[in-house]
Amino acid sequence: MINHKKWISSLPKINKEISKTINQLDHENSINSIPKKDSYNSVKKYTLLTVLFTCGLIFVSIVKNETRNLQKDINNLETSINLIKFNLDQAFLDHEIITSPENISLLAKKHLNIDLAPYKRSQIKQLNAENEKFTKINKTKKEKTMIQKFKKLYSRPKSIPNEIKTHVAKRIEQKKEEIFNIYHEPKSIITLEKAGKWTVVQLVKAFLGMPIIPGR
Amino acid sequence: MKNKKKSFYFDDYAESELIDNNKSNIVKVSLNKVTFLSFIFFSLILIFGIKIIYLSLSSEKSFFSNNTKKEFVKKRRDIVDRNGSVISTNVILYDVGVRPKLLKEKEKKNLLIKLGLLFPELDLNKIKNKLNKGDFFSIGKRLTPKEKDQFWLMGNKAFVFDEKPSRIYPQQSLFSHILGQTDDVNKGISGVEKFFDEDLNNKERINLPLSLTLDSNLQHLIRKELINAETDFHNIGSGAILMDVENGKILSLVSLPDYDLNQRVSISDNIYINKITLGVYEFGSVYKTFTIAAGLENKVINSSTIFKNLENSLTCDKYTITEHDKLPKNLSAEQILIRSSNIGAVRVAQRVGVEKYKDFLNTLGLFDTINFDLEEIGTPLPFVWGKCKLATSSYGRGITTTPLQLARAYAILGNGGYKIKPSILETKIKPLEKKEQIISHKTSDAINLMLRKVVSLDEGTANFANIEGYDVGGKTGTSLKYNSKEKLNTFVSLFPASRPKYVLLVMLDEPKPAPNFLYEFPPSKKFPNGYKHKGEMRNTSGWNAVVVAGKIIEKIGPILAINNLEASTKF
Repeated sequence: MINHKKWISSLPKINKEISKTINQLDHENSINSIPKKDSYNSVKKYTLLTVLFTCGLIFVSIVKNETRNLQKDINNLETSINLIKFNLDQAFLDHEIITSPENISLLAKKHLNIDLAPYKRSQIKQLNAENEKFTKINKTKKEKTMIQKFKKLYSRPKSIPNEIKTHVAKRIEQKKEEIFNIYHEPKSIITLEKAGKWTVVQLVKAFLGMPIIPGR
Repeated sequence: MKNKKKSFYFDDYAESELIDNNKSNIVKVSLNKVTFLSFIFFSLILIFGIKIIYLSLSSEKSFFSNNTKKEFVKKRRDIVDRNGSVISTNVILYDVGVRPKLLKEKEKKNLLIKLGLLFPELDLNKIKNKLNKGDFFSIGKRLTPKEKDQFWLMGNKAFVFDEKPSRIYPQQSLFSHILGQTDDVNKGISGVEKFFDEDLNNKERINLPLSLTLDSNLQHLIRKELINAETDFHNIGSGAILMDVENGKILSLVSLPDYDLNQRVSISDNIYINKITLGVYEFGSVYKTFTIAAGLENKVINSSTIFKNLENSLTCDKYTITEHDKLPKNLSAEQILIRSSNIGAVRVAQRVGVEKYKDFLNTLGLFDTINFDLEEIGTPLPFVWGKCKLATSSYGRGITTTPLQLARAYAILGNGGYKIKPSILETKIKPLEKKEQIISHKTSDAINLMLRKVVSLDEGTANFANIEGYDVGGKTGTSLKYNSKEKLNTFVSLFPASRPKYVLLVMLDEPKPAPNFLYEFPPSKKFPNGYKHKGEMRNTSGWNAVVVAGKIIEKIGPILAINNLEASTKF
C-alpha cells in the first residue's frame, strides 16, 4: 500500500502568498505582448509594392517597346546589308563579265582604231635603224635648206636686212680688235693661268706617251 | 467571483485572441494577394527578360516578315581561275508561272495587253490559248531579278514566282569542256561540277571558292588562235593543252568546237567531246621522241650514233613503211628526230627491243587510263605487241593515247625525268626534287637539245614555232585518221628548251592545205629577217599545227613571264 501522506509530505510546501501573486497575472503585460497594428508601416509597404509593381510594368513595357524598335532597326539594317551584299555580288558578277578577256577583245575591236600587234626584237631593231636613218636624212635636209637660204640671202647683199648687217659689222670689228691686240702685244695673251694649264696638259701627254707637239 | 473573474479574464483573453486572429487573417489574405501579384509581376519580368535575352542572342530573325529581306545565300561554292576570276557562280533566278483560274475574262485580256507591251518577244497567241485552257503554265524560266521584277510590278495575282538558285558561267564557252554543268537541283552532271560535286556543296566552306590552275587570259588567247586556225586551215575541230612541266598544273585546256554553258542545251554530237582528255588518237611522229629517248635511256644509242644505209621504205608483214620525204641515207640519232625519219625510228626501236620499248612507254604512262580531275577520261586502245607493232609504234602508227597523256609524257621528258600528275585543282604540289625520277637527267637534257634543233635548224620540221626569245623546242606529228583520208596534225612543244617550264600541245583535227595563207618564216641564218610565203599545198603538222603553236607561244609568252632571252639583252 502506498503511504499517500508520506508522498504528500514529500511535495514542496506551497507558499500560498507567493503563489497568489504569481497567479495574479499582469494583463497589461499580456496585452503589450500582442503585436500592435502598425498602420503606418503597412501603408508604406503596400505603397512601395504598388509603386514597384507600376514601375516594373512601365519599365517592362518601355523595355519591350525599345526592344521592338531596336529589333526593327536591326532588321532594317540587316535587310539593307543583305541588299548591299546582293548588289555587291551582282556587281562582282558584272565586273567578271565586263572584264572577261572575250569582252575586252570585243571592245578593243570595236573602239580601238589601231591594230595592236606584238613586235619582235628584230623588228624593233629594224625600226631603230630606220629611225636613225630618217633623223640623219632629216638633219642633212635641214642643213641643206639652211645653206641654200643663206646662199640665196648672200647672193643679193642688198636684200640682207639692216639688223643682220650691223650685227655682222660689229662682230668683224671685234675680231679685228682682238687680232690687232695679239699682233701688238702678244705677251698679254699669255697669262699665268693659261701657261699653267698648258704645262699640265703637256706633262700628262708626256706621261701617256702622246706626242707633245701634235702632228709629229 | 473567482470563477467569474477567471472566466472574465479567460473571455477577455479569448476575445483579444479572436480579434488578433481576424487581423492576422486579413493580413494573411492581403499578403497572399501581394505575393500573387508579385508572382505575376516577376513572371512578366522573367518572360520579358527571357524575350530580351532571346532577341539579343537570336541570329535568325523570324519575328518580322521575310518578304522585306533579300538575303542571298550561296548554295554552291564558286569556281575561280588561278587569278581569282570567277568562272562559275550561283545566282538567284526565277521561274514565273500563271494560274489562269484566278483571273476573270476581262483580267485575262488586260494581262495579254500588258504582256504584249512589256515583253514583245512572248508569243501572245500561245499564252492566250493557255489562259483559256485554265491550267497552270510557265511563262518564263531562269529570269533575272530585273525581269522577275517586271512581272511582279504588273501586280497580277495570277503570277506565281519560284526562286531557283542557278549556276551561271560568266566566261560562257571559254571553259565549257572543263567546268561541265549542273542540273536543275544544282547537282553537278559533268566536268568539274560533277567531279568536285561534294566539295562544291560543302556548307562549311561555302564562302571559299574552289580554285583551279587554269588562267582565263591564257585560255582566251589559245582559244582565239585555234578559232583563227579553223578559218585558215578549215579543220573541223582542234585542241590545245598548256601544262607546267614541273608540277603538272594545267594552265589552259581548250577543245573546239565548244558550247555556251549558260544555254543549257543537251549535246550528243561526238564532235563536242573533250578532245584533250576523252579523245583517244594516233598521233604519228610525236612518238619518235619516245623512241629516241628509249634508245638513250637504255644506252643503245647516243645523240651522234650514225645509222647507215637507211632504206627509203621497208615492209613488215602487210605494212609498208616509207619516208615522208627524200632523206639522206646516213642519219645520226639526232638527225632522225630532227628530220623525222620513219625508217630511222624503226631502226632505233629495233635496237631497243620490244620489251624495253614497251616498258619505257609504260613508264611514261601512255597506256593506262590517266588519273585526272575530270570524269571525261579516255582510255588508250589496247593492242598486242609484236615485231611489226614495234616498228609501227616507233613512229607513232598503230598506237593510241590521249593528248593529255601525250603532254604529260613530254613534260616528264622535259623536266629532268620526274613523274608528275596533271591537275586542274590548285593545291600544294610537291617540289620537283621530292618527286619520283623515272628517266635520267642525261636523257632529258639530250632530248631537250634535240627538240630545240627540230625547231631551230632549217632542216627541222617545226621552223614556224621558232619564236624569238622563247627558245622553243618540240616535235611534229602527222597521222591519218583511222579508215579515213583525213589527217590529225599535232605539235608538242617544250619551252624554253634550255630548261623547259611549259609544255604546249596543239592538235588540229582534219586540217586542209592552205593555198591562200600567208606563211611568215621566222628569222634564220639564211634569212636573218625572215621571209613571207603565200600558200602551201602540203598538209603536214609543220605547215599548220606548228604555225598555230608558234602564234600561241608568241601571244602567251609575255603572260607566262618567261625570261625572254632576246628581250633580256639590251637593245
